[in-house]
This record gives sequence, C-alpha cells and structure tokens, in this order.
Amino acid sequence: MISSLKSSLESTFKDVAVGEPEAGRLSVLAPKDSLPVVLRYLKENGLDHLALLSCVDWPERGKFEVVYVLSCYMPSNTDYASEQRLHVFVKAEIPREHPALQSVIDVFENAEPYEREIHELFGVHFAGHPRLIPLFLEREYEIPPFRKDFDTRQYVAETFDPIPPVDE
Amino acid sequence: MDRNQLAKWLKSPVEMANKYSLHAVYFCTGCGIIEIPPVITARWDAERFGIKAVATPRQGNLFMITGYVSLKTLKAIIRTYEQMPDPKYTVAFGSCPINGGMYWDSYNTIKHLDKYIPIDGWIAGCMPRPEAVFIGVTHLWTLIDKGKADGYIRYSKNYASYRRNQEMLFGDLGWPPLYPSESPAEEARA
Repeated sequence: MISSLKSSLESTFKDVAVGEPEAGRLSVLAPKDSLPVVLRYLKENGLDHLALLSCVDWPERGKFEVVYVLSCYMPSNTDYASEQRLHVFVKAEIPREHPALQSVIDVFENAEPYEREIHELFGVHFAGHPRLIPLFLEREYEIPPFRKDFDTRQYVAETFDPIPPVDE
Repeated sequence: MDRNQLAKWLKSPVEMANKYSLHAVYFCTGCGIIEIPPVITARWDAERFGIKAVATPRQGNLFMITGYVSLKTLKAIIRTYEQMPDPKYTVAFGSCPINGGMYWDSYNTIKHLDKYIPIDGWIAGCMPRPEAVFIGVTHLWTLIDKGKADGYIRYSKNYASYRRNQEMLFGDLGWPPLYPSESPAEEARA
C-alpha cells in the first residue's frame, strides 16, 4: 500500500518530505544525514533493491541532488508489489562546495560502483567508501566532467584539437 | 576458384592469400559491434568473402574499429594493433572514428582515430549496414591489389609521429616503443 508506506514514513521521520508525483512512485526528500537511516527503514519495509544511484547538478541553487531509486526486487516479500511495481526516489541535497555524503554500502552493497562513479564524474565524496578510485576515466580532469560548469567544447579544443595529424 | 585470377595467383601468391584470408580481430568497441555478429554469422555470412573472426590479435590481420573510441579504449586499440602480425589492415567503421561523429564535443572520446593509428579504409555511416561492410571489404581487396593498403608500413615509417600523438594524450603509455628509433638524429628530426 503506497499510502500506508507514505504515512509510516511521515510518522517515523519528522524531517522528510514525501510526495507522490505519479501513480506507483514516491519521492522522499530527506536531509543528507538521515539518508542511511531512511534507506535502511525502506529496505526493511520491502524495498530491497537499489536500482540506481544518480546525481543531478543544480548550479544556480548551488546544490547537488543525489537520487537513490529503490524498488521491490522480490514481489513476495511485500504487499506493495502485489498491486503494481512501486518505485521510491529518495533524494538528498548537498552543497556544491565540498560535497560529501555518508556511504550507504552497509545498507545496499551494490551502491559501491555507483558511489565510485558519482565520485568520479561529479566529485562527491562518500565517507566510509572502501575504495574511491577511478572507475571509467583514463585522464585526470580539473573539474569532474559531469558538472554543469565543465565546458566540454573548451576541453575538446584544448585537449584533442592541438594533436597534429600524422604527416605521411 | 575463379579461373580469370589464375595468373594473379601464380604471379603473387602471397598477396592473393593475404587478400582472401582476412581474419578480423573480434574487438568490440562502440555501438557498431552490434552489426558485426550478423555480418560474420549466417545472415550475411562474411566467410563468403574470406573473413573470419578470431579471438586474439596475434592471429588476426583485419582490425575493424566499430564505433566511438573512448580514451581507455584507444589505449587498448593501440596495444591490440601493435600485437597483430604484419601485414595488417585497419578499417574504421562508422562516423565516430572519422571525426568524432555525434561525440564531437565529448570529454572522453577521441575525434580523429587516424592521428593515433594508421587507417586503411573508412566506412561512413551511423550505423553502416552490413552490406557496407562487404563493399568496404571489396574496396580493401582493390587496395591490397594495388599495394595501397599500407597502414602497417606507414606505422613503422612514421612511428615517431604516431607515438608522439599517443603520448600527447596519455603521457606515459606504459609500454616501450614498438619500433625504437635507430639513431638520435632520426629522433630529433621527428
């Protein structure tokens, strides 16, 4: 039951804002310090699958928005899944300067590569992560390349264009 | 066997054998690799043209780069290319290796592949159809016939320039030069 999950979330945590943007979806805006607790609560209530961990850059507001997408992996362990597939979007806003978060690997083990990816592409630090080493990228970037203020065209003009063609 | 080609076979058997035994390195990069399984299997059957996919670069002589090349992939491509035995032919497949294609302003995709390894043929398109692969192969035959598919010769001749371009991107590549320059004067000239 989506409504029961919504009311239980609101009664358990005083500082989260729960919305229902469309049928079958809940969006939970939580403060960053209570993220692991909220995620653990949701996991114990049947949302046992971390489908995705993403990050959105809002340069005007000076915020990063980290988004955890949860869904029910096993349809049998909860009655939420019996009526329709439920997705819960847990969001937290962190400042753009020195962005840091608590790692949630102890709640969802598969968050490990996602957190590495976000650390690499957005520069968000995840405290408690065992190995925040580069995942995809080969080069060092001054600004992490997925931030909005990373100028890709300028980067291309500075990096790839000066390489001369091989004269035969 | 085509009887008209008998004279060619007798004249230059090695070239003809090279031409009809293209062993493609099964190196997957980018989205174009999705076109390769139908090309080499029953639907289009590249073996009609003498092309087979081989598992390791040490057994192959045709290198198809099938799509955008990220920096990490470029390093692997250079290593793979240097491991292949001569004579070897490279075909860039799709518009991304030509000039970046739709990734022309990407932070992590190289734009002109021929700055880093020599390319014998290009197949334009996004994506090229499997038929285009065979047209490209028959063009490659013509080039081999005329001695113009000489990428591996150009690579050894201009190795200093290629290596310089590779090191401009990666800094230290992590392996020694394939063709160490023989004299310091040659190195200075390059």
